Amino acid sequence: MPKQILIVDDEKIVCDMAQRILTQEGYDVEAFIDSTQALDRIRNKQFDLVVTDLKMENVDGMAILKEVNQLYPDTKVIMLTAYATLDAAIEAIRERIFDFFPKPVKIEDLKRSVKKALGS
Amino acid sequence: MTIRNRIIIAVAIQATIICLIGVFVYLSFNTVLSKLGVIEIIDDLNISLLEVRKSEKNYFLYGDVNALKEVVERGEYLDNVIQSSKADILKTLGPGTYDTMRNNLNQYLNMARGVIATKKTPTKFEEDFRSLGHELTRLSEVLLKRERRDVNNIISTSITRLIASLGVVLLFQLVVWQYFSHFLIKELAIMGNLIQMVSQGKLHEVAKQTFSPKNEIDYAIKALADMARELEKREAVLLQSEKLASLGILISGVAHELGNPLNNISLIAQGYLSLYDILEDGEKKNFMADVLTQTERISRIINNLLDFSRQKKQELQEYEPEDLVERSIALVSNQIKISNVKLHKYLQPDLPHVYVDAPQIEQVLINLLINAIQAMPEGGDLTLDVGQDMENGNLIVKVKDTGAGISKEDLPHVFDPFFTTKGTKGTGLGLSLSYGIIQQHRGDIAVESEEGQGTTFTVKIPIYQPKEREEDAQADLDR
Ligand SMILES: Nc1ncnc2c1ncn2[C@@H]1O[C@H](COP(=O)(O)OP(=O)(O)O)[C@@H](O)[C@H]1O
Ligand SMILES: [Mg+2]
Repeated sequence: MPKQILIVDDEKIVCDMAQRILTQEGYDVEAFIDSTQALDRIRNKQFDLVVTDLKMENVDGMAILKEVNQLYPDTKVIMLTAYATLDAAIEAIRERIFDFFPKPVKIEDLKRSVKKALGS
Repeated sequence: MTIRNRIIIAVAIQATIICLIGVFVYLSFNTVLSKLGVIEIIDDLNISLLEVRKSEKNYFLYGDVNALKEVVERGEYLDNVIQSSKADILKTLGPGTYDTMRNNLNQYLNMARGVIATKKTPTKFEEDFRSLGHELTRLSEVLLKRERRDVNNIISTSITRLIASLGVVLLFQLVVWQYFSHFLIKELAIMGNLIQMVSQGKLHEVAKQTFSPKNEIDYAIKALADMARELEKREAVLLQSEKLASLGILISGVAHELGNPLNNISLIAQGYLSLYDILEDGEKKNFMADVLTQTERISRIINNLLDFSRQKKQELQEYEPEDLVERSIALVSNQIKISNVKLHKYLQPDLPHVYVDAPQIEQVLINLLINAIQAMPEGGDLTLDVGQDMENGNLIVKVKDTGAGISKEDLPHVFDPFFTTKGTKGTGLGLSLSYGIIQQHRGDIAVESEEGQGTTFTVKIPIYQPKEREEDAQADLDR
């Protein structure tokens, strides 16, 4: 069974492109523009990897990270952000994060990090 | 005419009137004095004449020639007195009186001399001599009475005239006082009006006042208009510099905001390259269309900023409050996004239109929003409440934060130019300029704050009433 990945980013293009490319790599990918819906989905299903944007309306990336860590200790989290403030990075590391990418994201780096996270 | 000249003329007229009165008084009293001199002379004459008549009486009583000699002696003395006072008598009584007096006296004395020389008394001598003496006494008494009456007349008319002319001076003074107070009050009222307009920030209306000054107050008014023009220029400069300062703040947000579309374009390009072989033509087209959308997004962000930075002349136009609020929020949205601030927006539906200079009002709202965001570095709630005044229908915009608040000591100063608690990070101009802009729109801006609780700024803007505007414009023209 392919590894399950959830992507959440309020930029539609990030969602679409990440979904296409990671699907191409052979993963099962679900993408959400609305972080509230994404949170709902996480509560209902365990994913192997969550790729989330940091700054989002309503529920932000840090809340998603905390929720995932609380519910599923095995699930890895990769965070994307356009606003890489030091505070956010430190907080993310404390919350046990797998990787942290500032935008613009290099697809090759992301692919590599995903592969590493999923141990395949 | 200058006020100085007007005062000089008034004082000169007054001085002339007083001089004329002085001359008149001098002349009157001079006449009185010379009349008194004459009265004294006539009095002397009268006394001497009485002596003469006494001797005359003695003669007729005792028939003593010596008494008659005494008459002549005293009569000649009297004649000498008359002659020595000739000048005075001529002046006041005229040559007729002088001649009559001397002729009568000489005739009288000659009669006496005749009797002494001939030692004979002609018939009817006593009767003629007495009647002649009597005539002399009568004449001098008449003269005395007349002169006394004259003096009385002169004194009483002088007093009347003096009182009358003092009345004229008083009246003139009243007129001058009325004139100056009216004139000055009128001019000062104009100036007062202008000063009030300056204090209300209506610099433009004051700066419009162009006329050629005629007096000192006009010069002051002109100086005021010049000052307003200068202030207006400086205010424009300040407005622009504060705009640049808030632009600096906005730019950090915009830089971040630009990150998203750039990241998108980058992702599309990378995806395009790596998926090239498996992409269908339609999909490739979609990729390029997405790139276009993202570039449009970038130019929209940049245009927003450029619009805001541009310096424009104040221009009042009819706007929907929703538009103004949305555009202001769009400019600070990036700022909100990179902070931990949550924006709550309440827009009452069907708000009335306002007649404003949109870039200026947007600048006010942006100042308030940025201040609120800066007051909540740890995040908080930023509430933007747009509604309407129940009483007069004016638009009310409330910008409320849950930030640090303003201390009681600082509260009265937040609208002062250059007042800032942000050190070099603040200009202290945002609120002072916002205040000026709202005043110019005949609106109102106020602040409430509780230290540690948060701050609420309330802006009131009059709603658009086309009729009222026309009347205002007409009133402006009339002024
Ligand atoms: N929402 C607010 N909360 C707390 N303090 C405020 C707020 N808005 C303004 N102030 C105070 O008023 C001062 C003046 O504001 P302003 O004129 O905008 O200048 P600046 O923001 O450059 O300091 C600020 O320095 C701050 O102390
Ligand atoms: Mg400010």
